[in-house]
Amino acid sequence: MTSGTMLKRPRLITSYERRHKLIGLAFAIPVMVFLLAFVLYPVLYNVYLSFTNASLIKKTSSFVGFDNYVKIFSNKLFLKYFWNTIRWTFFSVLGQLVLGLGIALLIARPMKGGTALRSFLLIPYVVPAVTLALVSKWIMNSDYGIVSYWLQQAGLLEARQSLLAMQGPAMWVVVILNVWRSYPFPMLIYWAALKSIDKQIYEAATVDGAGKWKTFLHITLPQLKNTTIVLAVLRIIWTATYYDLIFMVTGGGPSGSTTHLPILIYQASFGSYQIGYAAAISMILGVLMFGCIIFYVAKSGLTED
Amino acid sequence: MKRSMTKMMAILLTLLMTLSVVACAAPAAQESAAPAEEATAPETAATQAPAEATPVDYSGQKLVIWTNLTADAQYEVLSKQFAEVAKELGVEVEVEKVAFNEMYGKLAAAASSGDVPDIMHTNFGGTAYLYAADSIMPLDDVINAIGADDFSSAYKSVLTGKDGKIYGLPDWAMHTSVWYRKDLYEANGLSVPTTWAELLSNAETLNSTDLSGFAVPLDGVQVSAQTLYAMMTSAGVYFTDPATGEYCFDKEKEDAIKVIDYLVELYHKASPAGSLTWSWGDYRNALAVTGTVAMTLDMGAVIGNAQGNNPDMVDKLGCFDFPGIDGKAKASFGSGYCFVASKQDDGVRTALVADFLKALYTPERAAERALSRPMFAFPSYKPAYEIYKASDKVADFQEQVDFIFNSFENGTWYWYGMEAGLSAMSAYIESTNIFGVALQGACDGTYTSEEAYNMINDDLLSFAGAM
Repeated sequence: MTSGTMLKRPRLITSYERRHKLIGLAFAIPVMVFLLAFVLYPVLYNVYLSFTNASLIKKTSSFVGFDNYVKIFSNKLFLKYFWNTIRWTFFSVLGQLVLGLGIALLIARPMKGGTALRSFLLIPYVVPAVTLALVSKWIMNSDYGIVSYWLQQAGLLEARQSLLAMQGPAMWVVVILNVWRSYPFPMLIYWAALKSIDKQIYEAATVDGAGKWKTFLHITLPQLKNTTIVLAVLRIIWTATYYDLIFMVTGGGPSGSTTHLPILIYQASFGSYQIGYAAAISMILGVLMFGCIIFYVAKSGLTED
Repeated sequence: MKRSMTKMMAILLTLLMTLSVVACAAPAAQESAAPAEEATAPETAATQAPAEATPVDYSGQKLVIWTNLTADAQYEVLSKQFAEVAKELGVEVEVEKVAFNEMYGKLAAAASSGDVPDIMHTNFGGTAYLYAADSIMPLDDVINAIGADDFSSAYKSVLTGKDGKIYGLPDWAMHTSVWYRKDLYEANGLSVPTTWAELLSNAETLNSTDLSGFAVPLDGVQVSAQTLYAMMTSAGVYFTDPATGEYCFDKEKEDAIKVIDYLVELYHKASPAGSLTWSWGDYRNALAVTGTVAMTLDMGAVIGNAQGNNPDMVDKLGCFDFPGIDGKAKASFGSGYCFVASKQDDGVRTALVADFLKALYTPERAAERALSRPMFAFPSYKPAYEIYKASDKVADFQEQVDFIFNSFENGTWYWYGMEAGLSAMSAYIESTNIFGVALQGACDGTYTSEEAYNMINDDLLSFAGAM
């Protein structure tokens, strides 16, 4: 009897586990199907396209090997656009983090109307990119833009000139607009991180005679290190692939000075109809972003159990 | 039992996942494997459809129509006419506005998926794109039924494909001229220039603190190409050979560089610095509303701007053709809108599309459509021309209307890339940004004129080679 019970027990456990696994699998199926259909398939299809001469005009396409990649790296303008992507991403992210941290430090202190101030500071984040783009183009119009007028009156700009029509300044304008629009996200994350730093560490530093600058340098910043890394990686991914603002403000001009890889991908797809070529550029951008994602996963602790 | 259930489940789930992936892949697979019969079948149906078919019962049918005309006045007239004709034929219509700046993106997606509208009211570039994508059918039968002689022959030839068939039903046309301030010309004792040197000299004379002699707008997409091409045609430089239809810009390097040199010189000597990124609205506003430029190239919409925003300016504006280098221009730059129809699956729908289009071509309707456009779009359907001219809207501009109509009908005019009829090159020129990159760079000193030419030529050659 005892031995019979002992023999049956493992079968019961196995059956339960199997059922449990099946139920788990059933719950995972929709997500798996979604990921296969909307993530894996598009990525694999893009890889395939990058080795073809697919075009939006031609109905047929053929395998061209690495031709698209060779074409990309032999295009003299590609290096310029790649460099633009780095400048745009680096300065945008740097600006967002510095401004976000600076404002977070200001609002982290208890103050009257702090909640209202924090809400007010979030406004840029909810301004639609199209609104920001239209207003920016308007205020920087060479003939009637208020910003252009001030700069012209101050002698900083030639008469009837606009910053958006000048190669060097145009990139800085879009970077500043992007920083203005995007700083609230780092600000909120930094604000939350600052709140979580143990007050006793500051008290100990004060007792030890550390001034505000030293406290910031040796306590606050190190405590924010992980937050900064995660924020930086996330913002790099979002900024490097962010397309709307530049497209609407400068369209990538003048003379390609604000064209970065996402704009180039759009141009290759809908300006030149070369889908295969555009897919190859996407692959290059994708590989770069994938590197960032691996770094992010490694640093954010997602690999931990 | 349970094991077999598990197996069954696994098989079902695998099947489900495979079907999901295949379902997503299906359109692409169909696209790449489009059988020849499928591509030709609707065309056969189109040719089989009699121009004067016996009345067919179209009840229950629906037509999807796209238009690039998003301005209220134009859209209202079009949608009103579509609704009238739909009622006459007992069908339903769904009209969608497609903004010009997003047209190629939407057309590309539509052509790629095969989900093109039944009828589209679009410009030459859009027509060329859909023709190259093999998405539209010839409309010779429709044109013949309306009366082939009633359409401008120049217009019909620009919409003719390589097979000699006409793929667009001409609606209205426009002609690029230099629009200028007559009052300023008079005040400065200037006469209409007949050479490039005279034009430059006039522009420099008109320059003052608050006024630029000639706006050279060079916005990245479309505008820069239009500005260059207006100058190119006047010098007899083309992208495709008007006689053979072959790409010829590579053979005209020397002359093309001269044109770019002139454009750059005109920009530096007479155009506002900020015009490097000016689009249509900017330069039209500067000429017709704020009065801060004295001349610019345009198709006549400046008059509409003046009428709407600065009526005092209307009488001060006039137009002349961009001169040739040393005399009469070799050709000029013209444009227009037409109706195109996608290939239909069966004879009934083909007949419906044909009947729908024919019904739009009464003199009154054609004139009404042309008049809904800001000046000066004139009807390419000749019976509508007298109604058009008698309209209050153009009553004060008989001289300009006759000049433009004459230039269009009796002069030599081209739309870029379509010097010898429909060509995908046209749509490419209109949507690529290489003109902006090269010409803006030439004007701000990044590139020499030769480098700018090489960039444009290499890009166009690359497209031509890929076709």
